Amino acid sequence: MVDLSQYLPILLFLAVALGLSSAFVFLPMLVGRLTGSHKPDPEKLSEYECGFPAFEDPRSQFDVRFYLVAILFIIFDLEAAFLFPWSVSLGEIGWAGWTTMMIFIFELVLGLIYAWKKGALDWE
Amino acid sequence: MIQVFAFYLFATIVVASAAMVIFARNPVHSVLWLILAFFNAAGLMVLLSAEFVAMLLVIVYVGAVAVLFLFVVMMLDIDFAQLRAGFVSYFPLGGAIAMVLLVELILGIGAWQAGSLNLAQRTAPLPEATPNIEAIGQLLYTRYIFLFEAAGLILLVAMIGAIVLTHRARGGTRPQNIDKQNRRRPEEAVRNVNQPVGQGVDLGGVEL
Repeated sequence: MVDLSQYLPILLFLAVALGLSSAFVFLPMLVGRLTGSHKPDPEKLSEYECGFPAFEDPRSQFDVRFYLVAILFIIFDLEAAFLFPWSVSLGEIGWAGWTTMMIFIFELVLGLIYAWKKGALDWE
Repeated sequence: MIQVFAFYLFATIVVASAAMVIFARNPVHSVLWLILAFFNAAGLMVLLSAEFVAMLLVIVYVGAVAVLFLFVVMMLDIDFAQLRAGFVSYFPLGGAIAMVLLVELILGIGAWQAGSLNLAQRTAPLPEATPNIEAIGQLLYTRYIFLFEAAGLILLVAMIGAIVLTHRARGGTRPQNIDKQNRRRPEEAVRNVNQPVGQGVDLGGVEL
């Protein structure tokens, strides 16, 4: 088990974020009820001006192009994630480790060039 | 004390949200429960002092894999009524898989009680003071270089495969060609004419 006391600042941030976001949600509701302006009626609750009644199922089918964007994102995300342990241990692993990473980046640069040339990075 | 409390909190939420992944009726809700499970698994990794793995879980699994799952779920044209109709016909296969998993669990617990395994090629443990991320870096880029480069090649194949499978040129669009725009010279675009009075302007084939 690890010493968790160093995570106390993160816990404090989480608590502050939780408190602020619940205040933003629930405080207006509470104030609305206390000041008496909370009087819903069917006209107030209907969609007007900035909305309209839904005319189809919101779960329409997505374009398959989103999948390509997501998979390209995953691949370069993983590449960036592999850079972190490499950069902090570069002193110990030396030139051999540096070359390893350069080969890895070169493999993905090949893929990037391919994606760019095929126009996979363009939306239209 | 706080570690034990945090462990049981994270572990309970992981198991509960994993159960909700399979019990949720809406696949989109399943993916959202999966994201909660990933977050709490990252918390468990922090408890094991594997901070880098926790960061990877949040960045890669929550940030990328769960988004990919969401896209896939949204892309599939799922008819929920039809999905539930096949429950009885799929039950024998599903039950068989569940039995295999149960047997594996029992065997695993039995092997755990039988004592530790003496591996022939064990990596010497790094000193306790080495941070988790440095320990990974010292092994991944030297000792496991082949696996690392193979992972890079697999990523390359995945990228090329996704492009080949899903990318196709769409007709009827007029994309911006920045290179062509930049190469355009004033001589091609501008024409000086000495316009006579009282006559129409010859547009020279320009479409309006």
